[in-house]
Formats: sequence, C-alpha cells, structure tokens
Amino acid sequence: MKEGLAYFTDTYLTVIGLAIFMLFFCGVLIWVNRKMAKGFYKEMEQLPLKDGEFSHERF
Amino acid sequence: MNTSKNLIEEIFYDDDIVKKFTLATLLWALAAFIFGLFIALELAYWPMNMNLEWITFGRLRPLHTNAAIFAFAGNAIFAGIYYSTQRLLKTRLFSDTLSRIHFWGWQLIIISAAITLPLGYTQGKEYAELEWPIDIAITVIWVVFAVNFFMTIRQRREKHMYVAIWFYIATIITVAVLHIVNSIAIPVGPFKSYPVYSGIQDALVQWWYGHNAVAFFLTTPFLGLMYYFVPKAANRPIYSYRLSIVHFWSLVFIYIWAGPHHLLYTSLPEWAQTLGMVFSIMLWAPSWGGMINGLLTLKGSWDLLRKEPLLKFFVAALTFYGMATFEGPLLSIKSVSAIGHYTDWIIGHVHSGALGWNGFLSFGMIYYLVPRLWNTKLYSKKLLENHFWIGLVGILLYYISMVTAGITQGLMWRAINKDGTLTYPDFIETVVRIVPLYWVRALGGALFIIGFLLMCYNIFKTIQMTPKAQPSQAHSVTRTGYDEVTKETHRKLEGMGFTFSVLAFIAILVGSVIEIYPTLALHKYITPANLVNPESPLEIAGRDIYIREGCYLCHSQQIRPIVSEVLRYGKASTVEESLYDRPFQWGSKRTGPDLARVGKKYPNLWHYSHMMDPRAVTPRSIMPNYPWLAEKNTDFISLRKSLSVMKHLGVPYEEDDVANADIKAQKQAKTIAEDIEKNGGPKGLEKKEIVALIAYLQSLGQKAQGAAQ
Repeated sequence: MKEGLAYFTDTYLTVIGLAIFMLFFCGVLIWVNRKMAKGFYKEMEQLPLKDGEFSHERF
Repeated sequence: MNTSKNLIEEIFYDDDIVKKFTLATLLWALAAFIFGLFIALELAYWPMNMNLEWITFGRLRPLHTNAAIFAFAGNAIFAGIYYSTQRLLKTRLFSDTLSRIHFWGWQLIIISAAITLPLGYTQGKEYAELEWPIDIAITVIWVVFAVNFFMTIRQRREKHMYVAIWFYIATIITVAVLHIVNSIAIPVGPFKSYPVYSGIQDALVQWWYGHNAVAFFLTTPFLGLMYYFVPKAANRPIYSYRLSIVHFWSLVFIYIWAGPHHLLYTSLPEWAQTLGMVFSIMLWAPSWGGMINGLLTLKGSWDLLRKEPLLKFFVAALTFYGMATFEGPLLSIKSVSAIGHYTDWIIGHVHSGALGWNGFLSFGMIYYLVPRLWNTKLYSKKLLENHFWIGLVGILLYYISMVTAGITQGLMWRAINKDGTLTYPDFIETVVRIVPLYWVRALGGALFIIGFLLMCYNIFKTIQMTPKAQPSQAHSVTRTGYDEVTKETHRKLEGMGFTFSVLAFIAILVGSVIEIYPTLALHKYITPANLVNPESPLEIAGRDIYIREGCYLCHSQQIRPIVSEVLRYGKASTVEESLYDRPFQWGSKRTGPDLARVGKKYPNLWHYSHMMDPRAVTPRSIMPNYPWLAEKNTDFISLRKSLSVMKHLGVPYEEDDVANADIKAQKQAKTIAEDIEKNGGPKGLEKKEIVALIAYLQSLGQKAQGAAQ
C-alpha cells in the first residue's frame, strides 16, 4: 500500500475529484427526494405519452 | 404571446427530415456492417487483403469504426432526436433549412470519410482519424445541429423538459467540446496535420475524447431515445422519473472522468490512472440505474413482448447495455486490465455495446418509427421476429468468441515457466491459437448482417404499402407549463433550457479540467536523464507512412511494467520516449507484437522481407503484404514543412535540420538502401517508402540521448 501510494504525485487532485463528486451526488439525491417533487415527477413521466399515438394501434 | 393553456394550435411536425435520417441510418448501417465483416475476414484469412493498399485492415478499420459510430449511430440519433424533440416540446423544428443543411452536410462528411480513409489520409487517432478539413466541416455541421436544436427548445410550447431532452442537451454540448479540443492540429498540407499535443498529453486528451465519444455519442443520446421510445412503444410511463434524474446527473458527471482507464499501466502518472479506475467503477451504479429503469418500465406487462415484438429489441438493447456497463468497469480494474487490455476481449466488449445496445435500440426505434412516419403498418411481424433472433445469435457468437480469444491470448502472453522464461516467447504462437475464433466472430457478424437485411426488406415493403394520397397531418397542441403559479424550484430549473445547459456544461468541465491537468504540468513527470532525441527527417517520413497504413491499429508502442511484458519486449516505456510523438502511437490493440523497442532488433533486410511478405520471416503471420511500399517514392519535399511545424510545436530541431530536411533524409535513405543491397536485397530502394519506414522502425526505442552519444 505504502509502496503504491509512493507513486502518487498529485493526491490532492484525486481527493478533490472524489469530494466534488460525492457532494454533487448527495445534492442530487436530496434534490430528487424532496416531498414537493413527487407530484411534479408524476406529471413529467406522462410527457412522452401525451401525443396520443399508441403502438398497439399500428401493429 | 398567448400563454393561455386553453388555446389549441394546429401544428405540423417536420417528419420529412426524420424520414431522411432514418433511411440514411439504414444505408450507412449496411456499409458499416459490411466493412466490419470484411476486416474480420481479413484477420481470419490474410489473403483477403489482396495486396491492395486501399483495402488493407489498417486502412479499412478506421472506415468501419467511423461508419459505425458517426454514420450509422449518428444518423440514428439525429432521426430519433428530431422525432422525439418535436413531440416532447410540442413544436416544429426551428428551421427546415438548418435541418436540411444538417442532413446533407452530415452525409457529405461521411462520404468524405469514405474516400479519404482508404486513401490513407488520417490523423492516426482512434475514432478521430479524419483530417483537418473534415474536422472543420464536422464542427460547422454540429453547430448547425446545435442552433436548430436549442432554438427549437426556445420556441417550445411545453415548458418542462422531459429527461430525454436533458440527455440530448448533454450530448450536443459535450460532443462539441470533445471534438474541438481533441482535433486541434497544425496543418502541414491539404490533407495532413500534426496535433498540437504530443506523447502523454496526446494520449490523455485522445482517450478523454475516445472514452467520452462512447459516453456522449453512443450512450447519452441513446439513453435519451430509450427514455422516449420505450415508454412510447410500451404505452407506459418510465418506471421511475426520479431515478432518471439521478441517472442523468451521475452519468454525465462521472463518465467524463473515466478516460484514463484506457491507459492503465502506461507511462501516464499513477494518480491519473487510479482516478480513471475509481470513476470507472463508480459508473456501475448510474449505468445500472438506467438499465433497471428501462427494464422495469415493462414491469407487470411482459406479455407486451408477444403483442408488440419490437419491444424485444428494446429489452435486449437494455440488457446488452447492462452487460457492457458491467464489463467496462470490470475491465477498468488494473489487475483485470492487465489481462484484457490489448486483446480481443476489448473488441468483444465494444461490440456487445455497439451491436447489442446501439444496434438493437436503433432497430427497435426504426421499427417503431417507419409505420408512423409513412402512415402505414409494419409489413411483417414474423420477419421482425426472425431479425431479432438471428441478430441476437450473431451478437452472442461475436461476443463469446472474442472474449474467449482475448482471455486466451492475454493468459498466453503472461505465461511464465518455472525458470523465469516466457512459455510462449514467439508472439505468433498466441495469434495462431485464436485464428479459429476469428472465423466464429466472422460467422457471428454475418448472422447479424443477415438479420439486418431482413429488416431492410421488411422496411422496404412497409414503405411500399404507404397510402398514395398522404396529406400532412396536423397535430393539435396547447401551451403547457407557462402559466403555472408555483414556488417549486424543480419546475423552475427544469423549465430553463439555458440554465440547465450551463449546469450540464459545468458537470462535464470539472472532470475534464482535473483530468487534463497533467498535460499542463508535464515538466513534473519528465526526468532529464531519460530525455530522447527527436526523430530524424527520414524517420519522420517513415512515421507518417506508419500512421497512413494504420500500423498502430495492430501494434502498440507502450511496454507495461508487467513482468511478462518486460521479458518479451524489454524495459517498460517511459514518458520521455514518446515526448515528441504527434500523434502518440501507444495503440490499443496487439494483433501483432509491441514495437516500442523493435529498433535494431532485426537487420534492415529482415524488415524489408517482412513488409514484402511477412510469412517469409514469420511463418503463419496474419499480417498483410505491403508491396506498394517498394514501388512508391518517399515524399522528401514535404519534410521541410513537416519539421518546421514540429519545431514550431516545440520539438528541439536545429535550423539546419529543418532547412536541409530533405537532403539529410536522402542521405540516411541511401545508407539503409545500400545495407539492404549489400545483404542480398534488391537494388535502388533509396527513394522508396519502404526505406523510410525501415528507418522509423529501426529508431524505435533507440532514441535515448545517451545511446546517441
């Protein structure tokens, strides 16, 4: 382990990278799980189905 | 502007452009598949190269990959994006003119690629081979596409942007950034250029591009299409919209970091390799989130697969997406990469994604689109079923044969006897062992094409059934989402196209900046004692020929610090050895052995004989013959310009080297030609390309400053 880490010349970049992602990911998770989001997502998921073309009518 | 949601407007979607892109998809898919099968046969049976320079594996392989990615997949995503965007945003595309410039411009670019690549005009960077004038054309047409798309968003009647639109936005922005940054080059002639990056810099930028070409050309747009067409075909909403948002942001943010997993065990700084590996493993989660979201959309309705067989293509595509995105992170683990890298395992992995995910998703989409676009019904469900099963067997044969070949060869390369010697010291032993699997691969590819031809016939007959009188259909739409009174920030963000695009741009920028940082601080990784001399003018000419013939597609120039590799090829490659390489030639596949230290290993005559007929010196070799290299003259004249550009880019040439490049090259060529002649080779080769190529090959691994002195 120690030997492996000896080759790391820019460890702070690795840490920055991971930290940015983890913070960002946690932010997204909190964002999508807020209570008020539920109703909105119910509406959004219907968008593709609204133009009334149903595949079984064509096949 | 009337913002009332009650006002009903009659609008006409531009489906003509969708039809054009759909038909182009079929045409270019056939070309990509045929080229793929042909080069697969060239590997199984070398005489298929036919001693013709334009159809050797090295020239046609870039044509196959470019046709598959940019011609087939490209036209498919444009068709799907234009169809779904109009319907999701309830508006016609912004400009019919821009749509047509986009279509015809893209087809011209494809034709340019089809002409220039077999002629050997290439930048020598995988998936970015096209020379600088075509690169400029790609940029222009991509901007046309972007303007058309973003202006369509601007004039939309549905304020909220469905998640598919997000994926399209991320695609358009990121592909533009990747293409422009990776393609920056200094022209040497109308069809020749040298990249501004060299060696390790070029490697990092290239695989940042190459990996994200897969991410943002073959993944994000197809995920957008999946989020639209799977719910449409199943007539059910996506399983979890919430999951789709987590999927989008995680994928866009993580993917951009993962490029260095293509450079594990190379001379790239260790931390960058590990960063790439860690983020590649993290990709597992969002990728599987997307796959599960797609598959669970059919939860409780699996009987639809019987009623609407085109759904089979979507289900199989999602399954292959899951398989490929499981295998990708697996191959990014350093110890797995040590076995799989440079082998056919990678080829199998790529094709499970390209044929299974991109291919089947596109086919499902086309089966869905064509009856609707031409206002008719599908000609034959039975043919569709046959296409699916034949194609599926084809992909499985392809995948299994290549993974088997890859692991077999990877293990043979690593096998070491108890006395510390290599078990298979002759590289050719490891090639001959897997040639039967190349035939199985070709069979798999042939089956995939047969299935595709059934589809073409089915689509042709479907279009023939189009009613003669076809008035354009108007669609009644209302403006929605604009007059909502809400404090919910979701609605605000997801209704703001520009802000959203900026956020997506920032997400990809963070990873890119941190990842490309080493290229800006290159001096930290250079050991002055290891510095090498730049190539001589003749070696530069030979290097250009090496790139033209696509040698890098079968030979790497990067020895990994792995015991078996050091035993086979010599000491591990260093950063300094490729310091002046424009483009870098580390390669990604070893159909033949690594060449990083091939210089001075064999006499000049050996190389001459090998290039004329590889089997003369390596029995059972599958390499093509290159007889034209002994017939065509070296372009000595352009060497002054080449060296001048190199010097301008920082290669330490003296003024005298540049001013007398052609004279020095001719002098070195004469020496090599005399040596070949003296040892029993033919006379009068000093002006021929073969001598320049030999000069280059003999210089590999021999440029250390100490050695020169």
